[in-house]
Amino acid sequence: MTVAPERLQAAFPNAHHGVSADGIPYVLVRPENIAETARIARDELGYIRWIDMTAVDEPDADPRFELQYLLYSMAEHRWLRFKTQTDDKVPSITGIFPGADWYEREVYDLFGVEFEGHPNLTRLMMPDDWKGHPLRRDYPIGGEPVDFTVTREILGTGGGNELRG
Amino acid sequence: MVLQTHRISNTLHINMGPQHPSTHGVLRVELELDGEVVISCKPIIGYLHTGIEKTFEGLTYLQGLTLTDRMDYLNPMGNNLAYCLSIEKLFECEIPERAVVGRVLLAELTRINSHLVFVGTAGFDLGASSVFLYCLREREKLLDLFEWLSGQRMMTSHIRPGGLASDFEPEWLTACEAFLDDMPKKIDEYESLLTNNPLFKERMVGIGVLRAEDAIAYGVTGPMLRACGIAQDLRKTNPYLGYETYDFDAIVAEGGDCYARYKVRVAELREAVKIAKQALKRLPGGPVKTANRKVMPPPREELGTSMESLIHHFKLFTEGIRPPAGEAYVPVESPRGELGFYIVSDGTGKPVRVHERAPTFANVQALPLMAEGGLVADLIAVIASIDPVMGEVDR
Amino acid sequence: MTMELPVTSAPRGGHVRDGGPGFGLSKLADWSREKSLWPATFGLACCAIEMMAASAANYDIARFGSEVFRASPRQADLMIVSGRVSQKMAPVLREIYDQMPEPKWVIAMGDCASCGGVFNNYALVQGVDKIVPVDVYIPGCPPRPEALIDGILKLKAEIGKGLR
Repeated sequence: MTVAPERLQAAFPNAHHGVSADGIPYVLVRPENIAETARIARDELGYIRWIDMTAVDEPDADPRFELQYLLYSMAEHRWLRFKTQTDDKVPSITGIFPGADWYEREVYDLFGVEFEGHPNLTRLMMPDDWKGHPLRRDYPIGGEPVDFTVTREILGTGGGNELRG
Repeated sequence: MVLQTHRISNTLHINMGPQHPSTHGVLRVELELDGEVVISCKPIIGYLHTGIEKTFEGLTYLQGLTLTDRMDYLNPMGNNLAYCLSIEKLFECEIPERAVVGRVLLAELTRINSHLVFVGTAGFDLGASSVFLYCLREREKLLDLFEWLSGQRMMTSHIRPGGLASDFEPEWLTACEAFLDDMPKKIDEYESLLTNNPLFKERMVGIGVLRAEDAIAYGVTGPMLRACGIAQDLRKTNPYLGYETYDFDAIVAEGGDCYARYKVRVAELREAVKIAKQALKRLPGGPVKTANRKVMPPPREELGTSMESLIHHFKLFTEGIRPPAGEAYVPVESPRGELGFYIVSDGTGKPVRVHERAPTFANVQALPLMAEGGLVADLIAVIASIDPVMGEVDR
Repeated sequence: MTMELPVTSAPRGGHVRDGGPGFGLSKLADWSREKSLWPATFGLACCAIEMMAASAANYDIARFGSEVFRASPRQADLMIVSGRVSQKMAPVLREIYDQMPEPKWVIAMGDCASCGGVFNNYALVQGVDKIVPVDVYIPGCPPRPEALIDGILKLKAEIGKGLR
């Protein structure tokens, strides 16, 4: 599943390169270069198929959010991941991959990352008047307190009411 | 449903769903109609958002496995499989051969389960209610098999990180073979009702056409992509669980319309029966759980005599398994498309992030491309042919 | 076949009961309401699949009078909330309930509808009885079609006696 690292190095000279545990190579770029990265991946390297996009929140890291995008090459049957890190906003790539539309809205809704240039950046999963971004790590899990979870609290295996907020 | 006539352009703004018998769950579609013609169609999701991805972060990996069944609830063991493959990739652990073949068997049985519901509901949405009853009759036999194996009809959580939850009994294997031998005749029965039915064809042929370029740009996968003529099936292009050693075809159809999608899924139903039979024949002996004690608990017999087993057991059931730090995404071909779990682990018993790449999320996004310009009745046929499961769209 | 846990009925209250049609016809009215209980289509998630299985050939609730699932709430008596109710869906649920004419009943099918189920988090309403009055709770994740039928039959028995 690994693509020749030299090709990736040549295409993205200013990025950090690496390979994840699943064998998919990743390219870490700066937020302002995302659109260009997506365009190069699609037009020059052949990763024409949009697959996925999500975010990971590490409140102690700086920047806080790591966005990862996943593309697929129909010719070579391989995936490519490109990532960027941000605290608040990132350019949208809906102009290059129209499939990114709902994925960016979902990340906006659940993490609060804004996408500049998105045609309709509104909440997707939560009601329109919801306050807060639920998938952030410092957002409490919510729900109602459950009685008799004392075993879990002693063992520290969680799921207890200390997370409820 | 709110009706208001638009003063200037005489179009009707109508809201369809989220409570509606034809939206296959809670999908809401905002329509702008000119008479019966759909001018614009905007799907609105989120009505089944369950916060599953957040819930994963407070549970151990094994507890989280039970949540995966409930995302795409028509393909529960497929979800389990995708989740387990990602975890096992982080562990780099060896899965015994019997478990690998057993997983193929269970994945294909689940595919049969899902496609039976598709054929039944596709017919039902268009008015052919008998097909629904026939398909669910077969599905009951399949659910009886699942219940015999794991104790649960639908949310089995039988595929666990490291193998399977328990072994197959010989009588179960015989019953499974009898079911699979019976299926081709039954599929012929469904096809005799629908495939050449002029009413069915009138409502499905040429309706909801999706172009191949759009499908690729939007990330549409699965039968919807293959119905546009693109031969992309993860079981062939990026095989997992030894699929390259099985004899089956990746079904491709031309046209990109609802009828093509129907044909692809019915053909896949037949192929799934074929693959399941092959898996059943080649099921080797041996254990179904990995010997790696960091992943699977030791057998109960050992707990009375071995201190190390006792400690492993205790640690695994209190703290949970601890995959090494890293990220993994190993997708499988679910009945709806490319399904994968992107798991980020920091080496502790609880994940940092679990994200499901849900195939229907991208497929439903392409709904306006297929429905705009058609009639409202065609919209129903298009939604039926997408085969959406809102549990995985909204997660 | 496994034995299902007994179904518990909700305490009475919340529904407005009419005074009866008069002329001693209230027994007839109760009998007819019991024998022809039409559910509204309110399938949300996984429990909806088991509800579909209950209405299909093997379990068949049509033989108990629930011949059709009415698409319009205005023509239905029973709302079977089968599945998890999210924050976005809650106002819709209440609106559908309000649109049903009296007398009406609610069955909370499954763990998510009864109490939030496995999902004790921000996104779900922890039990549909926070929004609508529930008559029968059916536990299970998902409950077997036989469990759903058991719940419906218990409800029908109480309707027939004029208790609901």
